[in-house]
Amino acid sequence: MAIVTVRDLYKRYGSLVAVDHVGFEVAAGEIFGILGPNGAGKTTTLEILEGLRRPDGGEAIIDGVDVFRSPREVRARIGVQLQQSGFFERLTVEETLVFFGAFHRSTLPVADVLSRLQLDDKRQSRVSTLSGGQLQRLSIAVALIHDPRIVVLDEPTTGLDPQARHALWEVVEAFRREGRTVILTTHYMEEAQHLCDRVAIMDHGRIVALDAPRALIRAHAPKTTVAVTMGDGVIAFASLPGVQTVEQANGEVMLSTSDPLQTVQALLELRSRGQAGFHQLRVEEASLEDVFLQLTGRRLRE
Amino acid sequence: MRGFAITVLMGLRMYVRDRGAVFWGIAFPLILMTLIGLAFGRSGTPTYSVAVMDRDAGLLGQGLVAGLRSVPVFSIAEISDTDTALAQLRQGRLTLVVVFPPAGSGEPVRAYFDQSRSTDGQTALVILERFVAEANLRLAGAVPTVRVQATGVAGRVQLRFLDFLLPGILAMTVMQTGLSGVTYVVTTYRQRLILKRILATPAHPAAFLGGLVGRYTLTSLFQMAVLIAVAVLVFHAKIVGSLATLAALVVVGTLAFVGMGFAISTVSSTPESANLLGSAISFPMMFLAGVFWPREFMPPAFQPVINLLPLTPLVDVMRAVSARGESLVPYLWGLAYLAVWGAVSFLVAARRFRWE
Repeated sequence: MAIVTVRDLYKRYGSLVAVDHVGFEVAAGEIFGILGPNGAGKTTTLEILEGLRRPDGGEAIIDGVDVFRSPREVRARIGVQLQQSGFFERLTVEETLVFFGAFHRSTLPVADVLSRLQLDDKRQSRVSTLSGGQLQRLSIAVALIHDPRIVVLDEPTTGLDPQARHALWEVVEAFRREGRTVILTTHYMEEAQHLCDRVAIMDHGRIVALDAPRALIRAHAPKTTVAVTMGDGVIAFASLPGVQTVEQANGEVMLSTSDPLQTVQALLELRSRGQAGFHQLRVEEASLEDVFLQLTGRRLRE
Repeated sequence: MRGFAITVLMGLRMYVRDRGAVFWGIAFPLILMTLIGLAFGRSGTPTYSVAVMDRDAGLLGQGLVAGLRSVPVFSIAEISDTDTALAQLRQGRLTLVVVFPPAGSGEPVRAYFDQSRSTDGQTALVILERFVAEANLRLAGAVPTVRVQATGVAGRVQLRFLDFLLPGILAMTVMQTGLSGVTYVVTTYRQRLILKRILATPAHPAAFLGGLVGRYTLTSLFQMAVLIAVAVLVFHAKIVGSLATLAALVVVGTLAFVGMGFAISTVSSTPESANLLGSAISFPMMFLAGVFWPREFMPPAFQPVINLLPLTPLVDVMRAVSARGESLVPYLWGLAYLAVWGAVSFLVAARRFRWE
């Protein structure tokens, strides 16, 4: 059962079409990702869902409420984390949550929210003293203060170091365990692949593909790479079963194969027969990055 | 309603933690009041420093010196050498140097004054001449038949400069709160996307904007209380009218100028440019509208402009109440004019307000 239904959203700024007939559904309890480069229209799409922007066409129903007819009612049902949202520098973390809590009908206890985002020890700290990761956690704490069933996160990990990013991934995974629905945008393919049940790949305002990460890879980047670190002997890589291209890089031979099982088996047989010596063998599946490259002809981060 | 209340409460906390706001709202007006009070403020009765050399050193001379000492506006120092005293006179440290001749010498009483500061010198001379004339009468044993009793009149009360200055400073502070404080804060909140974040809550945005108005009304009243307390306790300023009326005027003025601040904040995109624009408007207004001196001092050509400024009626009515204890009635048109400024500003702000 879809808790979020988006149909045919359209938004233009002058001659620039920011959101070009976007439609998708999000199931209750699902973690739904929108993956795309900067300027793809991810944030505009989210801000239309949050009722912060009026679309030029289309409709969005969230938890049974029409976003454009009752934006405030929708905002009572969703938790919003804005990209680079600022807070009052002269308030403490706790005061910030109390402040935003007062703008909702009911709230979770502030102490609970703080401990869930590991901000307990920053309770009395001024917002101006927080690190990037702490600010981002505060931003999510504010989104969570009224215990929403649906949480909308706009690039929650952009600009964070890997450690802070993984801490936020854990927060999102906790949302999944609690049965909350999450819609998040990102331009990190690892993040989309790791967190999301389904991913919409967005480019130039359009959704170019939408499915589970693995299904996307299978459909759009089916090749697997088998990497071999060579020892003695010579192997005719190109004639191995499944192999389509052969490249050398960093002392490794990279075989792109449509049938990794067959390719690996052939390699292992060569080795056991003593016909080829190699030290290591690594099998690498294609990633969403390859999917994006396949679909748009460009890399995700350029 | 909770959004409104929390905005007021947290706004007050932020105000207390903001050294800049406290400086501009309290320290800056106090410094202005002190400096301008020192520069122009003369207490109601001036005193003149007079050096006296008694060449007689007898009964007559001693009597004259003692008599001079009893003149209230004279501060007397006895000297034995006129050269030093004359040098001090030239430096402006004395108003008058008086030499009493030996009794029976037939010499006149000599008085020296500084011609470059003739107003003070002439006044002190007149007092001295009157003193000498009276001394002659007494010495001749005459009973004065005609007497003058002078009573100072300055409207209903004797107006000291500080009593005049204080309400002007209060009105100026109200204006600064709106034109500089509100513009800076609102544009900062917009630039940092705080306004957008608040818009992303289910509350009506009026709760937050109303809370800001409430916060500034309270900080204005607080600033007024501190400024009045310092002026009265430290500088002995007098407030003739009712404090409650003054507080009500501060509230009306704050509402109007906060409205203007909101309107200005819709024109500027950065806090810096908003602050600059606010200052560019408030600084000339503060000098023209009669905060520091009567606006009649400004050239006649300026008067039509001065009459159009929103600060002018506020300064007028606050001064009328604070310094002269007048009724509000003659100033109601001015207050209405100020209210129109405020109302139009809020309308402009409501039409043009941008949340990001």
